[in-house]
Amino acid sequence: MKRFIKSFILISLAISMSACATGAKFTEVQPDLVSEKQEHGRIFFYRPSSLGAALQPDVLLNGEKVGEAISWGFFYVDRPAGTYTCVTSTEVKRKVSFTLEEGKTRFVRFSTSIGFFVGHVYGELVDESIGMSEIKDCHYIGQANQ
Amino acid sequence: MQRSFALLILMGFIFGGCAFDVAHVTYHPTVFTAQPQSGKSIALKEEVKITQTPCGYHRTLKQGSNWDLIGSIPEGNVYKPRDQVLTVECSNIYEAYLVVMNQSMVGFYLPVEKGFVELSKEINLPIE
Repeated sequence: MKRFIKSFILISLAISMSACATGAKFTEVQPDLVSEKQEHGRIFFYRPSSLGAALQPDVLLNGEKVGEAISWGFFYVDRPAGTYTCVTSTEVKRKVSFTLEEGKTRFVRFSTSIGFFVGHVYGELVDESIGMSEIKDCHYIGQANQ
Repeated sequence: MQRSFALLILMGFIFGGCAFDVAHVTYHPTVFTAQPQSGKSIALKEEVKITQTPCGYHRTLKQGSNWDLIGSIPEGNVYKPRDQVLTVECSNIYEAYLVVMNQSMVGFYLPVEKGFVELSKEINLPIE
């Protein structure tokens, strides 16, 4: 039994570690905070935690897949000013809705909460100051259609 | 041990087929009339804690935060935060603006859903 528990912990750890993002750090990429495109805003998505790293749900923005919520990963998209809904699904569908203005930046942070069988990965809209401080250690994972 | 494991697997099959009933923010549709560039804003002298939020997720309006008047709904004037993010939350999260009537906060306006979330009790705002 002890050997089983030890193996389970080791395997879980290995899966968690291998499930984390490994691209260049935010501080190395140093992306512009605002979109170069006129009439667009920029949305940053990031997940600053290893909790539930094996869960990597698709990130849907107004129904379109824009990336995946990978632990310690970030990506961004430019979109026209308007209203947006970001959805992630594990055993439940979780959404966050927000507005985007021209020339503005929004930060959506993914966290994991405890679910019935698997955790729930959900997006939260956060202040720019919080987003900027938390995204620093995340790695660039690119958008879905790059 | 084996029996418990089997029970857990069985429960997995039973509940795995169910859609989880998520908790919802209750809001009702409202009509927003924009007042673009009204030039009017308010600032809060003190921090305001909002405890009567849907599903018990408390919110804090920061001391010194600025709120721009962007329009109105029948329930009051709508103020958008300039320097903090405001949301209401249950299973899902919704960006929200303040709805103010006679210097008191009466609820939240959800700009994406175009809905109004009423507070059960008005909160007097410490406006500068």
